[in-house]
Amino acid sequence: MPQTNRSRNRALVDFVLLPFLFLTVALLGGLRIGDESRTFIFIAPPLVTLLLAVLSMLLFIRGGLLRLHQWVGGDLPPLTNVAHVWMFITIFFATAQAFNSVLPERGLLHWLFSFFFLWTLWNNQFSSFDARRLLRSLAILFGTAFILKHMLLASLYNPEGGWLKRVAGTLLQGVALDAPGFAPATGYIAFFTLALYVVGLIVLAFRQDLHDSHDSALVPPRCAITKTE
Amino acid sequence: MQSKIIQVAGLGFTIAYAAFIVWIYATEPRTFKEVTTSAQVTAGTYEINQEQFNSALNLFRREQFRAARDEWQRADPAQRDARTQFYIAYAFYREGWGRLYFDQELFKQGLEAINRAIALSPATPLMIDDPDLQMHTAAELKAELEQGLEHNWSDANPLKILRRRK
Repeated sequence: MPQTNRSRNRALVDFVLLPFLFLTVALLGGLRIGDESRTFIFIAPPLVTLLLAVLSMLLFIRGGLLRLHQWVGGDLPPLTNVAHVWMFITIFFATAQAFNSVLPERGLLHWLFSFFFLWTLWNNQFSSFDARRLLRSLAILFGTAFILKHMLLASLYNPEGGWLKRVAGTLLQGVALDAPGFAPATGYIAFFTLALYVVGLIVLAFRQDLHDSHDSALVPPRCAITKTE
Repeated sequence: MQSKIIQVAGLGFTIAYAAFIVWIYATEPRTFKEVTTSAQVTAGTYEINQEQFNSALNLFRREQFRAARDEWQRADPAQRDARTQFYIAYAFYREGWGRLYFDQELFKQGLEAINRAIALSPATPLMIDDPDLQMHTAAELKAELEQGLEHNWSDANPLKILRRRK
């Protein structure tokens, strides 16, 4: 009986909870709230976020967060393969949208942020990672970007202004830091989105750990199905 | 076996959710109300608010064109009803029409509205059976609006002062 429950819970996490979490990130990552109109603005992921997502997926595979060779294989049932490929796709788009939520929408800052993300992810490709270190690194990367965009830059573009706006205005005289202004709710949405994304990745890491500790020889979902079958 | 059911149900549910997300990004609704309106349009259950339409028609007949347009826009928030879009275009035409000159901005907006009306009834030519109107088809109204936006030597003809609004 506990074995059956375990396989059911694994299936729930793998095929319902995780795709749902990642799809919610994909939904909210491009959502902004207009400053004056207070209406929804949906921003599709820019091309650069797809590139960042590809680099992140490579990191996930290198770090052992995604085990592609265990997820998809000729010896697995077709439905399991489809479900795993689907989860892979949801993680990809969630990653792209997580980057979308912390990237300034346009202007010089958009390219500066993109460059720093690309630089960090490219450097990480050559570092040694395990799933936990990778998670910590990503949480810090997204946390820093969130603070920069939704706290510092939001304060910079606040129409009422402040000391930061005056300092930046003096330092960056003549440099066009064009960026649209959004309502404060946008920051809350981005925070929730990133939190959800990191939680999704943590669940993914725990799922891998559980599978490893319970049955290191067998592929987790296949194991769940063969037991019930 | 139950894991397999969860697998199939999970796959179905999340694919439907993903389709919803793609639809949201494609339609870009600005409010929750627009989300429901867009959903109604997609489901084919969208209907205009007939009460607001009639109230707008009354305003139109009393020559309160701006107010009429506002009411029609509220009656058809998704801009999916060809008849309402025709009337909106007609209101732009009547408000923009002048003996000496036509208001170009209003005529341009009228042209946009009539193009929407034409696009919404591609199968049959749009015909409005209203005795208060002098143009009953979308093609006539479109031609009138386009002529109003064109500039040529005949604009200098002083006899144009005698022309009549349709």
